[in-house]
Amino acid sequence: MLNSFFTLFIVFAFCVQSIAQNCNLEISGLLKDEITREPIVYGNVFIKELKLGSVSDSAGNFKIRDVCAGNYHLLVSHIGCETVEYFLKVRNDTLLKISLDHNHHHLHEVSITAKLKERTVQESQSISKQDLEENGDKNLSAILEQMSGVSSIKNGNGIAKPVVHGLYGNRLAIINNGVAQSGQQWGVDHSPEIDPLSANEITVIKGVGAIEYQGNSLGSVILIEPSSIEREPHLHGAGNYFFESNGLGNGMHFSLQQYKNVGLEIGWKVDATVKKSGDNRSPNYYLRNTGNEEANVALKFEKSIRKNWIIDAYFSSFNAKLGVLRGAHIGNLTDLEEAFIRTEPFFTQDKFSYTIEAPHQQVNHHLMKLHSLYFITPNQKLEFTYAVQLNQRKEFDVRRSGRSDMPALSLDQVSNFGEVKYVNGFGENWEFKTGVQVNHTDNTNVPETNILPLIPNYVALEYGAFGMIAKSWDKTTFEIGGRYDLENRNIAAISNFVPRSIVQYSNSYSNFSAMTGVSQQLTENWKLLGNVGFANRNPEVNELYSNGLHQGVSGIELGEIALRPEQSLKGTLSLKGKVKNKLFFEVLGYYQAIEDYIFLNPSNEVRLTIRGAFPVFKYEQTNASIYGLDFSTIYQITSQLETKIQYSYLKGDDNSQGIPLIFMPANNIYGALTYDVKNWRLGRSKLENIELQLNNRFVFEQTHILPEQDFIQPPKAYHLIGAKVSLERQAGKFRFNFYARAENILNMVYRDYLNRQRYFADDLGVNIIAGINVKF
Amino acid sequence: MRLLLLSFVVLFVSCKKDDSLTPTLPTIPNQEEVITTLNYTLTAPNGDVVLFSFKDVDGDGGNAPVIVNGELDTNLTYSGKIELLNETVSPAEDITEEVKEEGDEHQIFYQFSNSDLGTIYTDTDANGKPIGVSTQLITKGTSSSTLKITLRHTPDKNASGVSSGDISNAGGETDIEVTFALDVK
Repeated sequence: MLNSFFTLFIVFAFCVQSIAQNCNLEISGLLKDEITREPIVYGNVFIKELKLGSVSDSAGNFKIRDVCAGNYHLLVSHIGCETVEYFLKVRNDTLLKISLDHNHHHLHEVSITAKLKERTVQESQSISKQDLEENGDKNLSAILEQMSGVSSIKNGNGIAKPVVHGLYGNRLAIINNGVAQSGQQWGVDHSPEIDPLSANEITVIKGVGAIEYQGNSLGSVILIEPSSIEREPHLHGAGNYFFESNGLGNGMHFSLQQYKNVGLEIGWKVDATVKKSGDNRSPNYYLRNTGNEEANVALKFEKSIRKNWIIDAYFSSFNAKLGVLRGAHIGNLTDLEEAFIRTEPFFTQDKFSYTIEAPHQQVNHHLMKLHSLYFITPNQKLEFTYAVQLNQRKEFDVRRSGRSDMPALSLDQVSNFGEVKYVNGFGENWEFKTGVQVNHTDNTNVPETNILPLIPNYVALEYGAFGMIAKSWDKTTFEIGGRYDLENRNIAAISNFVPRSIVQYSNSYSNFSAMTGVSQQLTENWKLLGNVGFANRNPEVNELYSNGLHQGVSGIELGEIALRPEQSLKGTLSLKGKVKNKLFFEVLGYYQAIEDYIFLNPSNEVRLTIRGAFPVFKYEQTNASIYGLDFSTIYQITSQLETKIQYSYLKGDDNSQGIPLIFMPANNIYGALTYDVKNWRLGRSKLENIELQLNNRFVFEQTHILPEQDFIQPPKAYHLIGAKVSLERQAGKFRFNFYARAENILNMVYRDYLNRQRYFADDLGVNIIAGINVKF
Repeated sequence: MRLLLLSFVVLFVSCKKDDSLTPTLPTIPNQEEVITTLNYTLTAPNGDVVLFSFKDVDGDGGNAPVIVNGELDTNLTYSGKIELLNETVSPAEDITEEVKEEGDEHQIFYQFSNSDLGTIYTDTDANGKPIGVSTQLITKGTSSSTLKITLRHTPDKNASGVSSGDISNAGGETDIEVTFALDVK
């Protein structure tokens, strides 16, 4: 796999002279921007082993003299870009032509992604490895939040679920390593079980990108690509460490990798992460029991059997213990109403603690994947994937007589996935892609809770097939595709009447989805992308069969057996461009109509139980629409100073009832001012790529909601000021990257509409994060 | 490759088998923790017994709970006793014992709509704080009142007013909250 930000082409390396053990060799070359084809000025080229380097001149040329024949690691860097490393065998004078996707740098946070040829009609944004490393303290959702149009549904700071264009959970596919993440996605307080530090890149496709993936989605897809093994014969690795002041969190990640080609080409890579943090602090008090613990590992083996055939095996294990604010554990509506009026939550302690007691979640997710990639011809490939996932979720509540150690919810889910995919590039820039998939999911309540389960046991079997065709012309790319899915489910539930008995249900759904898109290069600097897609989502078991008290929100939730699949039509149109290499911008508009949108409707019924009276919510269907606008721009004020503005606008409506949709992200604006220094000498040491940033996020109040749609008014608007410093340094074989961030510098008291903890407590106060990344 | 192909064949074939399409039958849990019934027995000095009872055997859904209200005589001191039962199991389990054993983590509160009425705690936990299983109820005047009985788990018994029966600062989670009609004649 190519590095996402750079493509490094060795165009030719030719022989000028041939003298044994020559130490007068010369490595020279040209650095060019891949997109604009303009030379890159002041690019750094450095031979690690020899500590010899050169800086490219105004024509992009560089030259390193007096190099002995040998094997070297060449580091190529440019301001703000990720440093790329290349392994080079030098026998003669060598001329290199290196293309950097430098355009990407300017817009790298707005991400004009040029790399994914297969998805050029798709509107997508990516987060690079470097960004992932400099945000090692954050979970997946918090990292994705940096993009416009993406937000998080949270339950405190540690539990967060990504929301793209207003949709989340079962309406948003998360594809980890090519396989749809399988777990209890239906829960708003169930965060995806993925370690962002073991990923190489995370991409959000905002249009309708799910055609080639199985798994629930009404449009957007989050793709997590694991880091690939670089084709490098030496042992390489990286280590990261961070500390955060809020919660006194510490985290570490390391990776090691090697690619041997001694007759038999074989590569391996190992990634491991550990994190631990204690009680977070809001500006005025500690948030008791909000600590997290996490330990993850990922292993990858890759073997080239022949030149045109690679097989690989991947294993990952994610293990987390996530605390939930003690004061958010309530028994009934009276408790909830009391919580609203308190200045600080019940059970608040005035001291910090790492202790995680009930309520908390314990989540384990293991993935094993086998994959084979076979090139029939250079333009035709055949791929096989088989994956097994085991997801275990246990949730602990405060219970009587020592039962707090007994989970109140315990679910095991095993899924088996198989896929065959065929891609053929033919004719003049035609590409055809097709595949079949089968997925078997077995979801079981572990009988250790002594509580009636929230969702029933079930087995689901899904078959899917897709086909898509794309054609590229000089300035235009067109793509069209369709897919068919068949799902059969068998359910075994416990009756909601006494005496309890087992009730069985079956349901079967078959759906067609389709998408088409076009991208058009209008002028050299302007590009237009549009796509339209039709997708379906089958009702989930919780929507069909839940029956009982949802304690966290003090409501009785009733499923509806007769729910039909949701049908969605989404269209996106985006324009991106630049003016004189100084102003870069991207604007994306979208509209999504969802027929039979499933939602929890508050009914007028109030049900009396021994815990008091609870409002009853019923799963119902309506016709909904969500539309919005994502806007990003970067203005290069000087060569060192740039400013960035990002804006997300979204509105969701229940058209049948003529009321707003609940739980939609509030509009927000993000602005940043960044100052770059290429090189700075500090005594004898040289610091590189120094970046200083000041940023501000303003989140509007969610006003598009009626008072009767929530227990309390949505929180007021807020703004958070942050700052960031990062720099790099080469020391021998090692390349260091230091960073420090400050979040909510002014220690503002605020609550966020999409954070369920807002009923009980203020959000996070000031947080200082410092970290170091080392590569060798 | 062969292995992969084989695993595919196994996968496709195994999914055709019937047992892979049958979900594990759920185990009906022994809901040892559930409280289905609250009985509040008031005994007059002359030995007359008045029973207030709230019973919901099938939990949050299903049939509505059965509520028994009572009538008291004025100017009397009744001795009150709470009984909590789990009637999902047979024989019924007495949860009162569990509450008493963990007395420091529980407190029962009594709230009347008529301020002429009140209760006094007559039991204590290990820390000398009230639990509220045993009480005295003193009647005055004549009225139609409501009585709200609340069982809180993990309240802050040291908070202001809590040990004298004021629920406002108690916190914790509500395990029981039932309201009775209470007439004093």
